[in-house]
Amino acid sequence: MKEAFLLGNGAIALGLLEGGCQVVTSYPGTPSSEILPEVVRFVKSENLKTYTEWSTNEKVALDNAYAAAVSGKRAACCMKQVGLNVAADSLMSAAYMGTTGALVVVSCDDPGPHSSQTEQDTRLMARLAKVPVLDPSNPREAREMAKLALDLSQKFKIPVILRPGIRVCHARQNFSWESFSVGGKPAVFEKNPARWAATPRFRFLLHRELNEKLVQISKKFDRLRGVNEHNLTKNTKYPLGIVAGGVPYSVVKDLFTESRREDIPILKLGAPYPFPERLAKQFLRACKKVLVLEETDTVIEYFLRDRKKVLGRLSGHVPSEGELLPGVIARVINNVLEDLGIPPMAVSGNPEVQELVKNLNLPIRKPTLCPGCPHRASFFAIRKVQPKAIFTSDIGCYTLGLNLGGVDTCLDMGAGITMASGFYQAFAQDGVEQPIVATMGDSTFFHSGTAGLLNAVYNGARFILVLLDNDTTAMTGMQPTPALGIRADGSTGKAIPLERVVAGCGVDFIEVVDPYDIKAMTTLLKKAKAYVASPDGGIAVVIARHPCVIAYRDRAIPEKRPVTVTDDCDECGFCHQRFECPALYPDAEIGHTSVNKSICADCGVCTQICPKGAIVGA
Amino acid sequence: MKTINFVLSGLGGQGILFLTRVLAQCALDKGIPVLGAETHGMAQRGGSVVSHLRTGDVESSLVREGTAHFLLALEENEAYRNLAVLSEKGTLCVNASGNPFPKDSVRPYLEKMKIQSRALPVGKIALELNAPLAANSGLLGVFAALENTPFAKADIRATIARLSPKRFQDLNLKVFDACLEKTSAT
Repeated sequence: MKEAFLLGNGAIALGLLEGGCQVVTSYPGTPSSEILPEVVRFVKSENLKTYTEWSTNEKVALDNAYAAAVSGKRAACCMKQVGLNVAADSLMSAAYMGTTGALVVVSCDDPGPHSSQTEQDTRLMARLAKVPVLDPSNPREAREMAKLALDLSQKFKIPVILRPGIRVCHARQNFSWESFSVGGKPAVFEKNPARWAATPRFRFLLHRELNEKLVQISKKFDRLRGVNEHNLTKNTKYPLGIVAGGVPYSVVKDLFTESRREDIPILKLGAPYPFPERLAKQFLRACKKVLVLEETDTVIEYFLRDRKKVLGRLSGHVPSEGELLPGVIARVINNVLEDLGIPPMAVSGNPEVQELVKNLNLPIRKPTLCPGCPHRASFFAIRKVQPKAIFTSDIGCYTLGLNLGGVDTCLDMGAGITMASGFYQAFAQDGVEQPIVATMGDSTFFHSGTAGLLNAVYNGARFILVLLDNDTTAMTGMQPTPALGIRADGSTGKAIPLERVVAGCGVDFIEVVDPYDIKAMTTLLKKAKAYVASPDGGIAVVIARHPCVIAYRDRAIPEKRPVTVTDDCDECGFCHQRFECPALYPDAEIGHTSVNKSICADCGVCTQICPKGAIVGA
Repeated sequence: MKTINFVLSGLGGQGILFLTRVLAQCALDKGIPVLGAETHGMAQRGGSVVSHLRTGDVESSLVREGTAHFLLALEENEAYRNLAVLSEKGTLCVNASGNPFPKDSVRPYLEKMKIQSRALPVGKIALELNAPLAANSGLLGVFAALENTPFAKADIRATIARLSPKRFQDLNLKVFDACLEKTSAT
């Protein structure tokens, strides 16, 4: 037997492989990023043949896994909840067409949100696509549900979504397992154009087939012990029952254990769609009122149609935004209990502490770019050359360029370029030459930059695009990019240089610079600015290339250049506002800026930015 | 099995995850099941980082307000920020910068809640020992010196040694020992 203290994402990886998954694809995104690396780790340690790949985006990941699933294999693709938006086109159609093997779409939700642009609920996407969804309450259950999802998918020939929340993905729990192998059939694709290339006339038939599958699965979900179940005692009536799924279920369970409450029954819905109608009806009959606790939207609550009986978000009892933290859940339940004249739970804690902490006026900690981050240097140079530009940006570490005034917009993956062209056209229409500088990371560019860049070039937009090329997907934990040419399992793939892709999009101005050399970067940006404005100009692409200081410490700073601040510093604050390096701080003891040696990366870039020349080599 | 709740707080880059892993491993080595929650992604970039760890038979990973037995903070303000998690008679270990800890405005609350606090400038001690990244091991030294710690000092030390990357092993242990000794002496 083997044992490990696994991340929830590791538990999902283990479950997928134990469930016989032969193909796993993914695009990284918090909180899903660690699933594929954990799959790779198990593939190596258990000596499996499962194919793994970092796909260039989530739609690509889903399509690739889908092809395996229609070749009779068991496949999974993993992404974050907003990644499923990118893959939605593929998912909707795959639901109609079905599978011959199994396809599990792991889509990880981020209530809070902690690291996402929305709090959207993947279960609603499952409802929209008409595919079953499983909602694990902790890592242990996620492992079991990964296997269950593969089995369900294979049995009903339908894609199945596994929807772990961030508190499952980034929880850690101790696990043990026996050695296992991944068997499975060789690829067989049976041609059937009426299904695999169905025209609208056949799509109607596929839709009917899908609806019939859902009826069958709903019946199965009525009797899915351990996943969908209640703890009612026969012939007992209750003033209140709780309906909960996913992470909120585990919180309610612990709360009731801790406060020794056995008077309130729980209906657990770990498989909320297709909705287990019969089971829910049974529960509702026994309870005078039910409180629905689910994350993050209203799925179960919509299916429980008796609005007089059902309390939840629609009735205003549960917050409609933010994470359902244990404290929130305890308060919601106690408020409902009090309303119904039932004794509340004894909940420890002292409410006065909130006020006490609030009055301490603690510093608000914004996430910032790391000390030594090459993006900081890039944003500094961009601001210097184009202070009046609109700065369109994108998703990644470099979104934090907003702390340096270098990011005005962040819509979604790829919008750094598409909003730049959109802004250009909106202003150009009025005859206004609005300077625009777009920033985008290397991985984001491969994910969804090219279509937007082609469009911008084709339609004659003019702006500067700075590709922040740090040779990795940094924010999500240093996954390789196609430019690096290293594949998910560590083997060598074909490296695709950014320059070639940019040139292929029709861009004529492509220059590379090391942003650590701020003078060189500003000079190049001035040249780019002139090109954009020239009669024959267009889009200028500047590739700001320097390795990520966290991923490649030695390569990023081959020669340590420690710095110190001289008494020429008059604490003007310029470096704090415009360079915002966490290693530079206003030192009250000496009355001017100092260097925090314990976090300084010794990159030496800041010696180039002080208007008083007070930051010098030590 | 009694549940013990830990909350570990600090800033991104201070090594909260290592701290969590050491405590988790100490529990696992005693055959106690462990469930915890970590911070990843955007929040890791210099923001406040909180890690939860629960030992015993539990289903959910987060520690609710008022139920933490131990709060280990690698930075003073992050200790204050997470004060609400501590239960009555809970214990607070903090890396204090040298300012008096706790602040006067907080002291009455800690007394009323019978919360014991141990403050030591572990960051400074680590820096003096040329191991600026080992403040987390230093805080474990403060924790190990407590009378009510659920794990033996030697076990915590051995776990740090086992989980440290080779090149940091000696430094981590040096800082752990120094902070353990200083806390025991006070």
